[in-house]
Amino acid sequence: MTKMMRTLLILLMVGLGVVFLYPTITWYFFTSQEMKALANGSLPEIRNWAEDEASSTSEEIKRLSQDTEAVSAALPTEFGFLKDAAKTNYRLTNEKMPRDWTLGATLNGFRDFNEVNAAIEDYYRQSILDLKDMKGKILALGLDLSGGLSVVLEPDFTALEEASTEVLSAEDRSAALEAALEVINNRIDTFGVTEPQIRRQLDDSILIDIPGEADPERVNSFLMGRGSLGFFIVDDTGTETIRNYMASGGKIVDRRPIEEGLLAEGLMVLGYYTKDSYGMDQFKGWIVVPETPGLDGSHIREANPGTDSNTLQPIVTFRLDPEGATIFQRLTSENTQKYMAVVLDGKVKANALITETIPGGSVRVTGFNYQEANDLAVVLRTGSLPVQLNIRTLQSVGASLGEDTIQMGIRAILIGIALVFLFMAFWYKGAGLIADIALALNLFLLTALLSSFNFTLTMTSIAGLILTVGMSVDANVIIFERIKEELRLGKGRAAAVETGFKKAFWTIMDAQITTLIAALFLSQLGKGPVQGFAVTLAWGIGCSLFTALFVSRLMFDLGTDGLKRQKISIAWGIK
Amino acid sequence: MKLFNVTRYRVPALTTSAILIVIFWAYTLFFAGGFNFGIDFQAGINFTVEVPAASDEQVVRDALGEYNPQVQTAGDKGSQFIIRIADDAENDNFQQTVSKAVSDILEAKFGNVSILSEEYIGSSFASNLATQTIWLTLIALGLILFYIWIRFKLNYAVSAITAVFHDVLLLLGFIGAFQLEFSTATIAAVLTIIGYSLNDTIVIFDRIRENSRIVKDKGFNEVINLSVSQSMSRTLITSLTTLLAVVAILVFASGTIKTFALSLVVGIVVGTYSSIFVASPVLLAWHNRELKKVHNALSHSGKSDSSGSGKTSSGSKSAANVPEPVKQTAEEIAEATERKTKKKKKKKK
Repeated sequence: MTKMMRTLLILLMVGLGVVFLYPTITWYFFTSQEMKALANGSLPEIRNWAEDEASSTSEEIKRLSQDTEAVSAALPTEFGFLKDAAKTNYRLTNEKMPRDWTLGATLNGFRDFNEVNAAIEDYYRQSILDLKDMKGKILALGLDLSGGLSVVLEPDFTALEEASTEVLSAEDRSAALEAALEVINNRIDTFGVTEPQIRRQLDDSILIDIPGEADPERVNSFLMGRGSLGFFIVDDTGTETIRNYMASGGKIVDRRPIEEGLLAEGLMVLGYYTKDSYGMDQFKGWIVVPETPGLDGSHIREANPGTDSNTLQPIVTFRLDPEGATIFQRLTSENTQKYMAVVLDGKVKANALITETIPGGSVRVTGFNYQEANDLAVVLRTGSLPVQLNIRTLQSVGASLGEDTIQMGIRAILIGIALVFLFMAFWYKGAGLIADIALALNLFLLTALLSSFNFTLTMTSIAGLILTVGMSVDANVIIFERIKEELRLGKGRAAAVETGFKKAFWTIMDAQITTLIAALFLSQLGKGPVQGFAVTLAWGIGCSLFTALFVSRLMFDLGTDGLKRQKISIAWGIK
Repeated sequence: MKLFNVTRYRVPALTTSAILIVIFWAYTLFFAGGFNFGIDFQAGINFTVEVPAASDEQVVRDALGEYNPQVQTAGDKGSQFIIRIADDAENDNFQQTVSKAVSDILEAKFGNVSILSEEYIGSSFASNLATQTIWLTLIALGLILFYIWIRFKLNYAVSAITAVFHDVLLLLGFIGAFQLEFSTATIAAVLTIIGYSLNDTIVIFDRIRENSRIVKDKGFNEVINLSVSQSMSRTLITSLTTLLAVVAILVFASGTIKTFALSLVVGIVVGTYSSIFVASPVLLAWHNRELKKVHNALSHSGKSDSSGSGKTSSGSKSAANVPEPVKQTAEEIAEATERKTKKKKKKKK
């Protein structure tokens, strides 16, 4: 291979590295905390944000469109995205494109203002969804570094087996587990702040990762709590206040508005969700209810899913115990012409006007889909999850501790690398600098590779990284020592480099391949920390072979032929 | 280049290693009461808590007396503690109960308490991990043995693996004797040291193999000394650079990762030592044994030496036949290497 080809190949690798690293760098250095939080958020959260942003932007555009001067002026750059949407519309309607994209011309591309509004909302939503996409391509931080809660739950079928008369088939188990997963999904979503990862693993255990959440008590809330269902009387004035508050950019934390004193004590804010046609929770608005329910779920004897004969909507019929029936009758008679909210696991599922007193202890509620109605019936019947789940492992790390660990890790790495760099440059002089460049490139390629497959960086993998630094120098050391031997025999630069590399080649291969065997093996079969360590080490060896054998060789050759160097600067004693 | 006569020290070196291993392990097993297993291997719960009002470990330990916890001070402020409570499997909801009880008790006693992290490992996971790791490591070693066997010879492979076992025994003995926490990070450290020590050993073996092909008129003993001396500067520089990186972690990090770094420092020193003073002497001992067999075969059968020595390596042949080797310097050997490669090249042309 000519030197030209070799240089090109290395440049290609560097280019690929830049492409792989781009999302990681954008995410960690050029994305605001607010946007990161949004991209971590759940879909309803993103929808809320996009709607809010869109409404203020369209207000602004509406205001500008009243102003004749602004209409004939060029489209302000911050609304540049509208041009693309307008272009598509012009093309669809086969109209002639305007020459100057003024605000007026752009707005003409839309049929009415609703369409403009939709385009704006689309833009905002897409920007966050793109960011969310990008998050899938970065070097992620493990729980021990970013803080958060991770739980592995394993199902225990003994209770279910005792309860059922037949032997459980594999399908029964699987179905029970799926139902449990669904229930957990419903309960965890109430956190709303960050998007949890809930995965069913190969061995039927359930892995739950909640980034940024460090309170282990939360686990109990979705594991122990029976399907917490309650009937609440809606506080109309509070709901109205919160509606206005949210419209002006308010924020709800822990079921209370951030602004203190806005809401009377003893009240809480809950989200009202209905299922859209895709079966996804769709956010309808905020509803304020008292903290204690008018009637709590413990009075429910059973819940039966069914279909309303008039509307064909799924309904759930609750049958209450005698005490519950009395409470419910009193509740409905006292609050006629008020709204009643049915709340399941912290989410308002139904919100209906009480038109008359309901006696008899039988309540029919719409607002659930069939799956939910069934789940609810199961949950209420068994008093807990469809299958008992035990905690196998739990790890929670406070964000501050994670922050400390990162700071410490970064500092340790930087110091370690700096020491190695200095030592090499001191000991091997000019050749040492070549080794340093190779090492820097090695680290760059390694991080790029790891980000390209969305690797999760933990403390042990950082340790693997540091070890890679120490060991990747080894290949260069072996080569340099060989070159030195050749120089002692009185060889010239080119010949010494040539034989030095040649003789070192198999030594390096044998030494690194044995380590690679162990690392690859463990990265495939190991678990948790061992795996993270092995993966970093394995790729580190791969990268260091490339940089030591290929990149430093090229640098020596370029020095010999390009710069016409006759001598080699490799040690203090040898000229 | 300075010539080191390392094989001369093989008996004291191997004895020292053996004594150290025995002392460490005996202390671990009979005095320290076994390894200090972390929760990765022993079902239980781990908290890192910040208790500004607690003066030392003992008060925290006393407060939680009924759970029989292990308490350790962590961090540099002295108000952070690591609390470990074993899961005795008597309680069904161990994690929930204990987690709540610990924060309640500490809050009642010390007021302001923040739980920085919590970690729970159930019993099914703990036993799985231990057996899985041991099997994985043994299989990985088997694969490595196979690779060296193919690239070198069986005696090289066995000597290298012997050195690895020496390192692992010594490192684990050190961890046990000093009661460092045995966690998954320890496994990572042991695995690293296995890779590292093999790396070191193979570089030296590679040189031995190369030299024993060229040097025909010297004993295997001296070939080993020459090879070790030739690789000495590389061995030391690589160990030094790796140590620089690892010592940086040891000094600037804290918690589990500090223990990890300490294990690595010990492991690197042991691994470097073993590749010089353990692997090569074992290779020599193996070689001498084979040599003896050949000698015996020769004296018993009385046949010509060509039939018996054909089995052994080239180095042994020279040792058996040439009692007084010609003294040769490293430079001369290197020149001989050069001549040989040139000849090869000519042949190719």
